[in-house]
Amino acid sequence: MPRFDFDQDNVVVVVGSGAGGGTLATDLCKAGVRTVLLEAGAHHRPEDFIDDEWPSFGQLAWLDDRTTSGSWRVARDFPNLPAWTCKTVGGTSVHWAGCCPRFKDWEFRVRSEHGPIDGTSVLDWPIALADLEPYYDKAEDRMGVTRTNGIPGPAANNNFKVMGNGAKRAGYKDVSTGRMAFNTVPRDGRPATIQDGFNFQGDKQQAHWSTLTAEIPKAEATGNLDLRPNSHAFRIAHNGGGKVTGVHYFDADGNEQVQKARAVCVAGNAIETARLLLLSDSPQHPDGLANSSGQVGRNYMRHLTGSVYAEFEQPVRMYRGETMAGIVTDESHNNPDRGFVGGYYMQLLALGVPFLAAFLDPGAWGPEFAAKMDAYERTAGMWLVGEDMPQADNRVTLNREVTDQHGLAVPNVHFDDHANDVAMREHAYTAGESVYEAVDAVRTHRVTPYPSTHNLGTCRMSADPSEGVVDAFGRAHDVPNLFISDGSVMTTGAAANPTLTIVALAIRQAEHIVGEMKAGSL
Amino acid sequence: MSTQVPVALEQHVAETVTALARTLYPHDGLSDEVYARVAAKLDEAAQADAEQARTISEGVAGLDAGAPFLQRSADERLAAAREIEGSPLFELVRSTAVVEVYSDPATWRLLGYEGPSFAQGGYLHRGFNDLDWLPDPEES
Repeated sequence: MPRFDFDQDNVVVVVGSGAGGGTLATDLCKAGVRTVLLEAGAHHRPEDFIDDEWPSFGQLAWLDDRTTSGSWRVARDFPNLPAWTCKTVGGTSVHWAGCCPRFKDWEFRVRSEHGPIDGTSVLDWPIALADLEPYYDKAEDRMGVTRTNGIPGPAANNNFKVMGNGAKRAGYKDVSTGRMAFNTVPRDGRPATIQDGFNFQGDKQQAHWSTLTAEIPKAEATGNLDLRPNSHAFRIAHNGGGKVTGVHYFDADGNEQVQKARAVCVAGNAIETARLLLLSDSPQHPDGLANSSGQVGRNYMRHLTGSVYAEFEQPVRMYRGETMAGIVTDESHNNPDRGFVGGYYMQLLALGVPFLAAFLDPGAWGPEFAAKMDAYERTAGMWLVGEDMPQADNRVTLNREVTDQHGLAVPNVHFDDHANDVAMREHAYTAGESVYEAVDAVRTHRVTPYPSTHNLGTCRMSADPSEGVVDAFGRAHDVPNLFISDGSVMTTGAAANPTLTIVALAIRQAEHIVGEMKAGSL
Repeated sequence: MSTQVPVALEQHVAETVTALARTLYPHDGLSDEVYARVAAKLDEAAQADAEQARTISEGVAGLDAGAPFLQRSADERLAAAREIEGSPLFELVRSTAVVEVYSDPATWRLLGYEGPSFAQGGYLHRGFNDLDWLPDPEES
């Protein structure tokens, strides 16, 4: 692998190696662009992953200090863990279960679809589904998404047998093991799944797509990638001419380095991406880099979420096999008669004993709690994921009272549910319970949202530069050679798991960047 | 009791912490060794931090007020735990116990959780779809 000089200013620097940054860097390298990929985490290999929930969490999760505020229960139960994302080469794609629904056409124009909604900052995306469809096609082929490109759907596991039968008996129509980014047949040099579970702990087997195993090796093969693990970006340098010139970062030894760049693409996941821009303030950018709109860090979204677990008389053994290979899509349409706008999915979910104990009812204890754990083998589970409303005051800010190991202000994540989110969650809980009751559940449990795995919206796309941070290609309105390349750009979050869309946007952005370079305008 | 003899916590304190952990997450099928993991963790914390050691010792002394916790019945222990809910000792023991108790392979066996399977070829040929009390669901 090449090592480009710190002063080599014709490289593109990508910050973050997850679904967005890892995909973008790979496409830039394939197009001949010399790319420095800065990753805050270490370069773990699949054989090093740990199939044991807490030790794996210690290995992969982003555990740098953060703070929380707002009325969400996460702020009470996990005040320093607003989000469950990863700090490792491959980013959060290494602990991704692989659910790949596409966004729907109306989910790109939520403001027009619903009209203004009190207490929200909803806006239409500056692009439509039609703009993204060719890139969805490319992303699905590249990631090997099941039920696309002739790839067979996943086999039904025990947990799905319960949810699938229940959903059909409850009257739902569109029920399947889903479109998933793991191999059901060998593909792209990776094997078919052996149903070994532990999807949130990295995939030792490499049946799952991640940038660690499926993209970055291809970037390395081009000779154009300079991957720098253990490199924590903390400031984007810029000049008086309104352009960015490089990235300051702490290397593995804690020494400050500066890599010059012709363009910088930030993909640190929505909390760190916003934090990095806010940390990069200057007299020209007094409120943070590329923040003349004041929108950097605002409109933070985390999806509806919530889970339903159900106990049965007979064994389920939900932990055997792929963690999330099951979906009910019937509630994903927009039907305001339900008492809320937007839609949600019911998706399969299994946790092991350690994490079910931690998340079933955080803080709970005593005989009643222990009895729920005693039923573990007879328990089935599902996750509820739906669109939450963007709100200007749900935001990432710098908490200057608290510093991290580098002496940098930590991000504070403030979140309050909107009334629409609350109504949707209530509906989804009831729907999930009805699914399990249809197959004679002994009892069901409504489970509060976990620390956020879907972190979106903090540098949103907008047609009007006063309403957002980046344009339709993720290019900063204020800075022509600065791009945002992760879920931060999402104007609204849709109901779908975001990774497929992040990858599609990254492929599209890479094409745009290469085109601009060839045209001499970048 | 655990073979790891606590060194920073007095034996009585360690035994009380172990008993409190069982009161918080009671599973009859688990031996005291599983709950003693909590005392071992708190002992590590106490060794590293004198303030923590004091919190633990004082917390146990408070729990023993009236009658020693170890000499009370299960129902009385539950009532005593409710009384100190939210105290520093309670939160330390609860947050440690919920991780330690449910990370122990003995607990996994009791609850029917088989854990990692990669080394055995996954669950592909070991029952990932062996549920037989429902039909195979028809898919859309």
